[in-house]
Amino acid sequence: MRPQPATFRWFAAHDLKLARRRVRAFFGKSGPIKITLILGAALVFFHALALFALDTALEDFEDGRRALYPFVGSAALFILPWIVSQALTNATRALYTRGDLDIVLSSPMPARPVFAARSLAIALESIFSVAIFVLPIANALALLADGRWLAIYPTLAAAGLFGTGLGLVLMLGLFRFVGPRRTRVVANVLATLIGASFAIGLQAYNIAPAAYRMAISEWLSGARAGGLLDRDSLIWIPIRAAGGEPWPLLLWCGVSLALFLAAVLTLGDFFMRGAGAAIGSERREAPQVKRATRFRAGVGAALRHKEWRLISRDPGLASQILLQIIYTMPISVVLWRAMGPNGSLALATAPALVAVASNVSASLAWLAISSEDAPEFLATAPVTRREIERRKLEAIALPLIVIVALPLAFVWSAGFKAGAVTTVYVLAAALAAALLNLWHPVPGRRGDILRRHSQSKLVAMMEHMLSLLWAVALALTAFGSWAAMVPIVCALFLLWTQRPKAVLATA
Amino acid sequence: MFVADLPDASPALSLRGLSKSFGKPAVDRLDLTIRAGEFYALLGPNGAGKTTTLRMVAGLLPPDSGAISIFGIDALRDPIAAKRVIAWLPDEPMLYDKLTPVEYLEFVAGLWGVPPELAEPRADELLATLGLAENARSRCEGFSRGMKQKVALAGALIHDPKLLMLDEPLTGLDAQAARLVKDLLRERTRRGCAVILTTHILEVAERLADRIGIIQHGRLVAEGGLADLQAQAGGAGATLEEVFLALTGAPADRAA
Repeated sequence: MRPQPATFRWFAAHDLKLARRRVRAFFGKSGPIKITLILGAALVFFHALALFALDTALEDFEDGRRALYPFVGSAALFILPWIVSQALTNATRALYTRGDLDIVLSSPMPARPVFAARSLAIALESIFSVAIFVLPIANALALLADGRWLAIYPTLAAAGLFGTGLGLVLMLGLFRFVGPRRTRVVANVLATLIGASFAIGLQAYNIAPAAYRMAISEWLSGARAGGLLDRDSLIWIPIRAAGGEPWPLLLWCGVSLALFLAAVLTLGDFFMRGAGAAIGSERREAPQVKRATRFRAGVGAALRHKEWRLISRDPGLASQILLQIIYTMPISVVLWRAMGPNGSLALATAPALVAVASNVSASLAWLAISSEDAPEFLATAPVTRREIERRKLEAIALPLIVIVALPLAFVWSAGFKAGAVTTVYVLAAALAAALLNLWHPVPGRRGDILRRHSQSKLVAMMEHMLSLLWAVALALTAFGSWAAMVPIVCALFLLWTQRPKAVLATA
Repeated sequence: MFVADLPDASPALSLRGLSKSFGKPAVDRLDLTIRAGEFYALLGPNGAGKTTTLRMVAGLLPPDSGAISIFGIDALRDPIAAKRVIAWLPDEPMLYDKLTPVEYLEFVAGLWGVPPELAEPRADELLATLGLAENARSRCEGFSRGMKQKVALAGALIHDPKLLMLDEPLTGLDAQAARLVKDLLRERTRRGCAVILTTHILEVAERLADRIGIIQHGRLVAEGGLADLQAQAGGAGATLEEVFLALTGAPADRAA
């Protein structure tokens, strides 16, 4: 039976239809049968993987479910922030993407059912984004260990509601305190930080001095009765719920539902007012540029200055680069420790610097090539496509040099050979990443730079592999090992496989 | 290439047997000639092939067959030379939100190789003429659609094109700005620039165009001055709207 128009069910059906189409769009032109087959194959694969891994691992845990709680807890530290991060991203998108919101806002509909339906769609999307990995583990645990592990199903659903409620509160809190103009960028950065909080925490732990790490370990393993980490404390409620303990399960589901409902019921009107303000925030007094513009001759100068101006005025880029550095640089501390008491921090920085150069170059190349604002306009200019691309690659070299110059100088301080070799690898990694983005453009808006990898998993995977291969090659070179040739050859082969198959007409 | 280098006797634009198909024909063996200094309005119902034709001339779409000649330059064989003398203004302005109008004009002038000493005063003049001088150093991101359209028009004119192609140029402009743009285009044709314009505002075509072409299903069904079209439609004294509806086969009462 069709839901009655303008009711919660009607809006929910509408939003779910849009969410379904987004999922279908992710699979490109594949039809429903092919998509079902792909998802089915993925489910079978993950089930097989979970059964294989758990069959071996569970032999060491014969003393019941509670012994597995620390491992489930570790997984939860990944999953819950991920759900909050997804909810924050999706809620921001719902607020700022005009789509059907203009029509909805101008209709005589009350805000609450609209917001409730949209929130439910966000929660479901967040749950499904992890369900494909988590539920096979639940099924394998139920099959191999204890049927009560099937409680992971309602626990995950509750986590979706909890994370979405929290994400909505965060997003609207940002909107209230940071303002509609800045919320979009801040929310995207915050979502990335929250999503990776566990990984960042682990890296912070690795960087910390030995005395601090020992103190943290003691604190974590202490688990004093009545303390924060006591298994009976509140912090373990979601884990015990996943293990099928009735009262914790009931409590976790109740609290999550209450948080979700409270967010939906109290924030609906604010969301709708916010949506109006978000749309209005796009039309504002444009920033003035005080410096006089000097006209320059030539295509190269025109393209270079245009790219430099756009890059320097891109608020998302700075946060993207900062995040890449946060993720990558702690590797150098780990390497430094591995080198022993005589290790050089400058030398240990080199592989991380190569990875940073590769990632930053990829981001800049994506901005210059894939997120070109006026590609058709450029196509009408009396310049060949090849020259435009060459000039754009030239243009991104300067900001890249500015970013890597200081850490590269630090590596040079360790000696001429170290500096020269690192410079060569930095250049190779940056060039490879830029070429990959040139050969495989993934069109997108500049504002979506933080989510650019979600548009093409293949390019994302290639970028990460190239970055890793160049960094490993440098580390092996630093140790004077001929084995460095292996990752170099692999990187070049990978790049060769990605080259354009046919040279297109250039004009 | 400057206008002095262009062959005198060549038409500004000559299309011969131009065809483009997207499954079904969008442009079908189209023949069209526009002279230098002529204001030509290309009219037609939605999906008639107007924009596809202009996109092929601008070098954005390769035709399936046919020839495009711009001031005697074979645009398919030497697209770079052809692009030097044309400008294309689509209905959606193609701008960079983070650039100011003056930075945008500097960029366009650089792409078309206009020497800085010529480009800078020309940019100032265009911005002043189009009423953008006050906003010359504000980023385009806060501009209304009409203002963006005017910046894009300034960009199309900065290299002093000899063939100007405009797709619905008056969309989003207020009456004052529309008048300004019409005057500017008329002035350009007086200086020898050929203008080809598509529009759904028939009054604009009626008042500005030297010749009007009506295209339907990718083919030119009628062409000439208003009197010629009235004769072809069989109704002397008819308005362009009546002529258009008669020639494109749309019932007048339904269209009204």
